[in-house]
This record gives sequence, C-alpha cells and structure tokens, in this order.
Amino acid sequence: MLITKPFQLSRHARALALGIAVFASAPALSETVTLFAAASLTTALAEIEADFEAATGHDLVVSLAGSSALAQQIRQGAPADIFISASTDWMDLIAAEGLIEPGGRFDLLGNTLVLIAHGRAAPPVVITPDFALPGLIGDGRLAMALVDAVPAGIYGKAALDHFGLWGGIADRVAQTDNVRAALALVALGEAPYGIVYATDANAAENVTIIATFPPESHPAIVYPLARLAGRDGTGVAALVAYLQGDAARAAFVRQGFAVLGD
Amino acid sequence: MTDWLGPAEWQAVALSLRVSLWATLFSLPFGIFVAYALARWSFPGKQIVNGLVHLPLILPPVVTGYLLLLSFGTRGPIGSFLADWGIVFAFRWSGAALAAAIMAFPLMVRAIRLSIEAVDPKLEQAAATLGAAPAWVFLTVTLPMALPGIVTGTILAFAKAMGEFGATITFVSNIPGETRTIPSAIYAFLQVPGGEGAALRLVIVAVVVAMAALLLSEIFARRVAARVGGQ
Repeated sequence: MLITKPFQLSRHARALALGIAVFASAPALSETVTLFAAASLTTALAEIEADFEAATGHDLVVSLAGSSALAQQIRQGAPADIFISASTDWMDLIAAEGLIEPGGRFDLLGNTLVLIAHGRAAPPVVITPDFALPGLIGDGRLAMALVDAVPAGIYGKAALDHFGLWGGIADRVAQTDNVRAALALVALGEAPYGIVYATDANAAENVTIIATFPPESHPAIVYPLARLAGRDGTGVAALVAYLQGDAARAAFVRQGFAVLGD
Repeated sequence: MTDWLGPAEWQAVALSLRVSLWATLFSLPFGIFVAYALARWSFPGKQIVNGLVHLPLILPPVVTGYLLLLSFGTRGPIGSFLADWGIVFAFRWSGAALAAAIMAFPLMVRAIRLSIEAVDPKLEQAAATLGAAPAWVFLTVTLPMALPGIVTGTILAFAKAMGEFGATITFVSNIPGETRTIPSAIYAFLQVPGGEGAALRLVIVAVVVAMAALLLSEIFARRVAARVGGQ
C-alpha cells in the first residue's frame, strides 16, 4: 500500500499535467480585449469595434473617457490591454511609471482643433490676435474640455494663448470632463460656441466649424497607442494589427483623423 | 489656516458652502409642504407625487443633470420661460444650487415626513376643538413637534448638497468660481498630473464638513426631542 500511494499520486499528477497541457494548447478562439480610448475616438471606434469583432472573432470592450481619467484609472490598476490617449503627456506619464509594454507604443493618429458654433449654418470667422472673441461669445459660454487636464482643453487653451485671446475669455469657459461633453453642450445650443477636434465636429449633426486653429498655434495633436505592460494575448496583438490595417485606417480618415505612419 | 488651502481650493470651499446653503434654505419650505401633504393628506395621484419626489434618489445623477439641462437650460421649456424674467440657471452657481437642491430633496422630505407622521393627530384635533385655525394648529402644534425631523432633514440635505457631483457637472459644467464646487474641484485636480495634493486637502475638508453636519444634526435632534418631550 505504501508503494501504490505514491504511484497513484503520480498518476493523478500526470493526468493533471496532461489536462493542463490540453487546456493550454487549445486554440484561444476568442479573447476579450479591453481598449481604453480618448473620448474623441468615440464615433470612429464604434464602427471599428463591430468590424474587428466580425473579422477576428475576438470580443472588444471599449471604455471611452477623457484621456486624463483613463490614465488615472490605468495608474490605479484598471484592467486595460491597450490605451489610446489624445495626448503624449498622459502616455508619457504612465510610461514613466513602467505601465506600458517596452516597444509597444507608436503614434496612431493626428487631429486638428476647431472653433464650432451651434446650428448648421453659422458664419465662418478668422482667428487673429485682434479677433473679438468675447464679443462673439456674448452672454453665452465657450464650451471646452477641462483646460488644465483634458488634452482637447489643454490644446484649446494653448491655441487661444497663442493669439493672446485666452485672458479675455477665461472666465467665460464652461469646462467639461471630456471633449464630447463640450460638443454636446454646443449641439444642444446651451453653449453657443465651443472648441473641439475637427473629428468631433464632423460627428455632430447640429454644429458648424467656423474656424480651424493653425497647427503652429498649439502643440501637435498626436494620439499615441500603447500596449500595457504584460498584455500580450493574441487578441491584443490582433487589435493592434487591425487598428493599423486598411479597414481601420479608412474609418479613421472618414472621421477626419490623420493616420500617422509608424 | 488660510495658507493651508490654496486660493483655488478656498474658492471651491466657499462656493460649495454658498451653493449648499441656498439649496437647503430654498427647498426647506417646499420640503415641509410636500412632507406634510404626503403624511397627512390623501389626494389622487399621491403615489405619483411620492415617486417624483424620490426620483432623484433612484435615477443616476447624470440623468437628473441631463434632464435639468434639457428643461432648465437656456433653450429648455422652463429655462427659456424663466430667462424672460431674468432668471438663468445654466452655467451659473444658481444652477449648481438647483441641481443640489433637487438631489437633496428626497432626503429632506423623507426625514420630515417621518417626523410629521409621528405627531399624534389627536393633539392637532384637540387644538382645533379649542378654536385654533388649521394654519395656527400647524404652526403651534405640528411644526414644533416635527422639529427634530425638520432639523435632521435640513442638515442631511445640506450634507448631500455639499457632495453633489454628477448632476452638477452635467447641468452647469465645471467653471472655476461659478460652478466648481468641492466635488468638481476634486475631480478636476485629480485629472492634472501632480494635483493629488490639492485634491486630498479638499477631500479632508469634505469629510470634516460632512461629519460636522451629521454630528450637529444628532445634537440638535436630541435637544429638540428633549424639549418637545416636555421635560
């Protein structure tokens, strides 16, 4: 009996090992990939999400918010596989904390910043240092994402600063927690004007782009993508490849993004 | 003490106190009226009124904020009507107070209603048989005896108003000095790299104010209960 016991144990152990081997080598048909993405990507990703799932069989979960909120969640251990930020600052911050996979970062997209007005046919304006922005806004509010935190707000403040216009309207700005909330305020007409990305303006029915901020008036708007540390499943790799593929590129371009070479 | 908080943080604290104070004071008469109606009267649609009062407690705050924006915004049916009279809530501190008042209203009404229901109707009837008019009965019998619940409801509503965030940021956004209350300021500070220190200081203020409000309500309620008890 004393001899059979270790024999039985090892037989169980072998069965267990075999089971693990079979389980591990079974093809991972479908993985759930969690993507944290800047709110300005909402419309483009809605299209890409369905196409990616149909094309690869993986399940894509997209969490959209201001890049700042997402970066803070990732710092606190949120279960994201891939992060697309609307600014390099927030990506640099989580990179400095060792949270992204070495070599897993590249610049995916570019964007432009625009001044929008409520309605379908607002007259265009030209933004110069002499531009009477406070007169244009009047009693209303200029809707922007948080100007010290959310990239769209930071870029917007920088662009207005570039023309010396920020000081005159700083107290007329209604700040929202992400750029899509600022867009919604203008689309509803609650704020007559707003500063958002060109891609946001294209996504809304009831707003008009009345001016485009020149690229030199603000830091380059770049959307870096990064795989987060330790996230190397097949689904993650498939999504990174898909986002650089032709179908995703076409969807991004349709929304008005510039697709950057990697 | 004044060095302990930065100017932006003081601004948020002062604004929060102002918003919560106005929200509480302004909704108190309505709160007492609605609580009395729910406790003492029977009328058609009572359950609907009860449901409407409790709706902000059950709905996600962002939904309440969005509904406020749609109805009380400058283009909303109520907002555009009030704007003709010079009353504007959208993106003003008064809008933050409105959002806080509506979010805190169920808590206020619940506490007051319970204490009015606890008042013995026989006492009110006795006062009436002695010739007191209904309004006088209410002022001299019902109201004093329900005072513990009114105090508790008021202070609970104040504490809730201090903490309101979801409906506020959705309805009146996040404007420093105008609608950036303590919770909105904490949220904004947390979004900035290196803003954790300021956020933490405001968290301490929020905890202290909330605890102080609860303790005050306990002390007041006990004192008033002792008085009403007749000792």
